[in-house]
Amino acid sequence: MSLLDNPFTNQDGKKVTCLEMLQAILDGDATEEQQQYFSKHMDECMPCYRSHELDMQIKQLIKSKCCGNHVPPDLIEKIKSQVNSIS
Amino acid sequence: MEETPRAKYTEKEKVSVFNNEFLPHINSMYNFGYRLTLDEDDAKDLVQDTYLKAYRFIESFQKGTNAKAWLFRILKNSFINDYRKKSKEPNKVDYQEVESYYNSDDVDRQITTDLRVESLQDMIGDEISNALNSLDVDFRTVIILCDLEGFKYDEMAKILDIPIGTVRSRLHRARNLLKDKLSVYAKKMGYKNP
Repeated sequence: MSLLDNPFTNQDGKKVTCLEMLQAILDGDATEEQQQYFSKHMDECMPCYRSHELDMQIKQLIKSKCCGNHVPPDLIEKIKSQVNSIS
Repeated sequence: MEETPRAKYTEKEKVSVFNNEFLPHINSMYNFGYRLTLDEDDAKDLVQDTYLKAYRFIESFQKGTNAKAWLFRILKNSFINDYRKKSKEPNKVDYQEVESYYNSDDVDRQITTDLRVESLQDMIGDEISNALNSLDVDFRTVIILCDLEGFKYDEMAKILDIPIGTVRSRLHRARNLLKDKLSVYAKKMGYKNP
């Protein structure tokens, strides 16, 4: 794929900005083709490379550090017994 | 108005849907509840209310559709109706301001803060969690839905009752605000600006 065939499209039909591409990647909205394109694009665009590295690391940190709240086991039992009492 | 198609479930099927499609999401639901209310007891109440509502309205749930998104939507609505009123959260974000920010030239800036990858590596856990918790609840919510739970734009739009364009702009703003917060932590830890 050449960098001339940009698979990203803008709602207004305008040329997409780096930021719009980066956001689609970060938000999990990019297709595989778009991801491949962006990966090539980063080889030639240092600001995108740096932003991507930083943003992905933050995303990773959030995933690993903000998920640790497990539901108290007694709550599951409580919900189940309440459901049984209304069914 | 189009009527929501209703499924007919026997009592046995109801319990089966509840146990097999709803309950497996309870940890994500509790985490979401906790991140919204920032209080363990409120999170428990919110999760319990959500599951009881989900069971009561189980006939409006179509088997094979996205149960997790449906449950998250119920929890979010319960939070807005029952908890937000009494919580000490600051008022809702002024979205006019958010939208105009998104449409301004500012959004083309590549790096909005001086935060660096190296400084993130020293953040043990509390910093990132505190930074997330300190965001306004509307911004916190989109980060949780996207980065923790992996919901797509269209799912988030349905959960939050907002247009997809607003989901996109809110996420963008939320990420920048989070970076600003992390940048403050990084400075406190002694990282100097380049």
